[in-house]
Amino acid sequence: MSTMTINGKLAPLPDDPDALLVDVVRNALDLTGTKLVCGAGVCGACTVLVDGEPAVSCLMPARSAANRNITTVEGIGAARLHPVQQAFMAHDALQCGFCTPGFIIEAAAFHDAWRAAKGTAMPSREEIGAALSGHLCRCGAYDGIFRAVADACAGRFDGGDILPSRMEARDKVTGSAKYTVDIHHDGQLEGVILRSSFAHARISELDLAPARAMPGVGAAISLLGDDRIVRYVGQPIAAVAATDRKTALAAIAAIRPTGERLPSVIGLDEARRADAPIVFERSARKKAGDVSEGGGSPAPWKGNVRGPTAAFSKKPRKVRNWVGDARAANNPLLVERTFRTGTQQHACLEPHAAVARFDGDRLTVHVSTQAVFHLMELIAKRYKLDHDKVRVIADHVGGGFGSKAALGVETTTAIELAREAKAPVRVAYDRHEELSVTGYRPAAEMKIALLPSDEGELKALSLTAYADTGAATNSTIAALGRLIYPAEAKELADFDVISNLPAGAPFRGPGGPPMAFALEQAIDEAALRMNVDPIALRKRWDPDPNRQRLYDWASSLDVWRNREPPASQGGRYRRGIGVATGYWLYLWQPGSKVEVAVKGGRLIASTATQDIGTGTRTVIANTVAREFGLEPHEIEVRIGDSKLPEGPGSGGSRVTASVVPPMLLAIGQLKTAIQQNAKRKPAPGSNAPWREMLAASPDLSASAVRPEDSRPMAPGIQSPLKQAGFMGWIFGWMMRRFSNLAIGAGVPSSVQIVEVEVDTWLGHVRVVNVHTGIAIGKIVAPALARSQATGAVIQGIGYALYEAREIDTRTGDVLSGGMEDYRIPGIADTPVIDVHFDQDGFDHVLGGGVGIGEVATVPTSPAVANAIHHATGVRLTELPIRPDRLIAALKGRAAA
Amino acid sequence: MTQTAMQAGEFRAAGTDLSERRRSGVSTGPLIDIAAEPDMIGMHWAADGSLRLGAFSTIAAIAADQRIAAAYPGIAASAQGLATPQIRHLATLGGNLAQRSRCWYFRNPHIACLKKGGSDCPARSGNHLYHVAFDLGPCVAPHPSTMAAALLAYDGTIATDRRSALTVGDLLGDGSNGAADNALQPGEMIKSVELPPPLQGERALYRRAISRTHAEWPLVEVCARAVVKDGTFQFVRLAAGGIAPVPLRLAAVEAALQGKTASEATIANAAEQAVVGAKPLPMTAYKLDLLKGVVKDALERLAA
Repeated sequence: MSTMTINGKLAPLPDDPDALLVDVVRNALDLTGTKLVCGAGVCGACTVLVDGEPAVSCLMPARSAANRNITTVEGIGAARLHPVQQAFMAHDALQCGFCTPGFIIEAAAFHDAWRAAKGTAMPSREEIGAALSGHLCRCGAYDGIFRAVADACAGRFDGGDILPSRMEARDKVTGSAKYTVDIHHDGQLEGVILRSSFAHARISELDLAPARAMPGVGAAISLLGDDRIVRYVGQPIAAVAATDRKTALAAIAAIRPTGERLPSVIGLDEARRADAPIVFERSARKKAGDVSEGGGSPAPWKGNVRGPTAAFSKKPRKVRNWVGDARAANNPLLVERTFRTGTQQHACLEPHAAVARFDGDRLTVHVSTQAVFHLMELIAKRYKLDHDKVRVIADHVGGGFGSKAALGVETTTAIELAREAKAPVRVAYDRHEELSVTGYRPAAEMKIALLPSDEGELKALSLTAYADTGAATNSTIAALGRLIYPAEAKELADFDVISNLPAGAPFRGPGGPPMAFALEQAIDEAALRMNVDPIALRKRWDPDPNRQRLYDWASSLDVWRNREPPASQGGRYRRGIGVATGYWLYLWQPGSKVEVAVKGGRLIASTATQDIGTGTRTVIANTVAREFGLEPHEIEVRIGDSKLPEGPGSGGSRVTASVVPPMLLAIGQLKTAIQQNAKRKPAPGSNAPWREMLAASPDLSASAVRPEDSRPMAPGIQSPLKQAGFMGWIFGWMMRRFSNLAIGAGVPSSVQIVEVEVDTWLGHVRVVNVHTGIAIGKIVAPALARSQATGAVIQGIGYALYEAREIDTRTGDVLSGGMEDYRIPGIADTPVIDVHFDQDGFDHVLGGGVGIGEVATVPTSPAVANAIHHATGVRLTELPIRPDRLIAALKGRAAA
Repeated sequence: MTQTAMQAGEFRAAGTDLSERRRSGVSTGPLIDIAAEPDMIGMHWAADGSLRLGAFSTIAAIAADQRIAAAYPGIAASAQGLATPQIRHLATLGGNLAQRSRCWYFRNPHIACLKKGGSDCPARSGNHLYHVAFDLGPCVAPHPSTMAAALLAYDGTIATDRRSALTVGDLLGDGSNGAADNALQPGEMIKSVELPPPLQGERALYRRAISRTHAEWPLVEVCARAVVKDGTFQFVRLAAGGIAPVPLRLAAVEAALQGKTASEATIANAAEQAVVGAKPLPMTAYKLDLLKGVVKDALERLAA
């Protein structure tokens, strides 16, 4: 038997020629800081040092580690944190943290080599970008990573320990943070799902006996629905739990379902044809998924097309008449275009995963989820268990972006396998599953008509959106056009086009980015035709007070004031500057409860929410610390466990606005209780009165439920739904009633200025600079809010330039099921990003601030497209703006 | 590796290609771990300035070697440009040449294709966004080896355990065998690569078009060499990857430049010749524009 030395200790290597180093490190040695993500050497999350050089352990045969020195993240800074780890903490160069160990390994190796060769010189962005080019971060923490690596190389973190601005940063940079995929119970089995290889079929026979008969198999279950129909490639058919993944894969291969193939239809164009095969017969429509965050409304459903949902229209007939007249009169101000967006995958680096374990009649499920409390409720309801018998835990979550908000198949499968096997079961999706069946932002085709009046006001807007929702419904793109740019009349119609593809899911501002891609380019086009500054036109047409302030900020930027006339450059490389606006709803979750307690002199804040990388732990710690005049690290934050007081889901940018107000109430109550119980008052003039009081306090606790907001007093601050009149009121009522979401007053807003450089020879767009102005009120955790803002821009750049699910339109196979074919931005694609927070506008919310996650990503793709138009004079109407599309547009021909 | 060779067992060097196919189930047969014989290791410079590179040399070692960078800058730049740092530290030169297609149909274990014993190419009639623009054979996947294109530009030869002095054409074939990624015999193993001495005063480089900045399989890549003397092209050699089932020499571009003044106009005119013989698929016409762009970019840099 051969051995390797790992983190200074000898460890045996398995004889299996197919064993990979990552499996030995994670499974046999339980060094779970090393992550398995893409399994193809693309993302770098599995990187370890082999004799001091970074290498991908997901592709390295375990055998070839024989007699070599391996260092994992646990071995970096084991005695004392490495300067790079300190720098990552100081610059908040991480969010969900799942990619962080890989980055730390690579950055530490780069740092050590750099320092040896160049002392404390600071490396350039290009040098850092090239060195870290083999790592991907889905949260987009690259802005902080640049600063961290540069400063560490410059010797600025050679000193003592720093206190990170993110509460759990130390656990993430050392690899000790445990995610769902890292959970390992004694006797735990591995669950694997057998999936349909057909786009549409009825399964007649499903014999699980051959799988059950195999040694090592603990359970085999059917996952078919009552109609036994599979409606997309990848739909679950059955699942097996076995002692290890290899055995489980062999077992599902032994299951040979038989049945009848049904005619299938794939994608927007085919599914809309009158003779297209029907995906959901009337009786099966309830099986369709949901691509929105709630608030679905009834709509006509004919064939595979559901819609229009047009409740947010206003005098739609007038729009048709006016636009028709303008077209007939060749009105040069009438902007009419069709825009298309691609299918964006969430591409969470931690896959969808669950570990289920029964102890008697009690069920504990570790889940990579955005909603521990709600998931507990859903599990209890589905399996008819009492709430106190179900516990959902998510200490750390490796990204969600909307895809982990529901009760997923990974969770139900783990539970059902564990029940049958009478053993704990883990289900963790592989990368192809993650990039095909866990949801996506649907592609869309949007027809827009925008008509200014003779007086230069916005007269009419028409937006019709067809969304490629797969086996799902409830796309809301056009409707969002109602809540910005008031017009005399609007015709807004949303259609879902259902086909034999996996179901779409909510994704960071569902409907927002595609709506903005169409609307903000139409506004840009109108400004050009009216010969008005594009920001000035927005300021004229968009009275929202939060955005008015952002328009003033944006138009004062040098980059905007000094911009050249459109398309004024020749030559290969052309620079351009574009602007776009975005908004999102301010949502909060009624019933959210926070408990604040003092125990043994220490403050503890508890609520059943979770931190998916957004910074919730830190928002809570900072709020408590500020109120008591303490440091955040003195506060213990308990989240990620459904046993805690009911907390909000991490979706709809709702967490901050749901937990801060009740926390402030609870803090007030706790302070009163502490004072009442105090035996003596703090010394007069004490600069830490609460520290003294807490140290002497008996154990006390207080909790409060999210109160209603006070009435907004600032002019123009109102619920955005007011603009939509009675239908808006109905919508708000439905959101609250059916989705437990309240829509508050005031509109979180973002205005972005983007500078691009277009390589007209190679069809390449480089985003050079971004200025993102964000109005979400008071910022509770500034460093983390900045990380959210820059990460949102980076994800928006991915949407604008690189990301698209690719499929085979005949078979429905997802072809971009790996990270090399589903292309998310890398560190070297990151522009210099200037973040501006406007902290007004939400004084009516206790604490003064709301969430940032979604609004910050809405305007990026149209701002990029407007910048490309400014550079080249060519309008890119289809996302992503890949080289093939840009080249075709520059040449004036249609892309394939 | 041919089908028969796969049945006998598939060679594994560092495994950076093979491990992914093992995990997905595309490769299931027996494995043969290559033991690095002495003649497969190291870099050996001959008195005439030629270089023999052992097949076990890592891409990172080739990329970092100062002498290679001076003598064969196109080889060094190709090695620096491909994959990612953590792959380059493991991956070998021999493995890079013998790696299998990155086609998304080939890499999907549930889809049949020519390279997996199937009867037709699903990419040809399906989604071939990243596939060939020179349709030279039944399979439309571009050859993935960046180093093979670089060797083609340098007239490098390959020695196996059975044959010596194979050209890149001998090694990879002409693209007409859709079932294979190379023309090695069953069980034949690459041992080393030989590079002839560089020309007096030649310059060379590697350029490519990708959608992002780093770490992507090239849409189009070119390794280019030139000797520019007294303002004229005395020698030009270009090899392109990403566009055909095998790396291609761009002979028409070379002919258009040979003996010509190194001017912007000559270069622009010659770059147009890069697409001579092209046969794009419905979704790959854009690669021809990119090819012209990359060639023009490379030539302008060489002439500068």
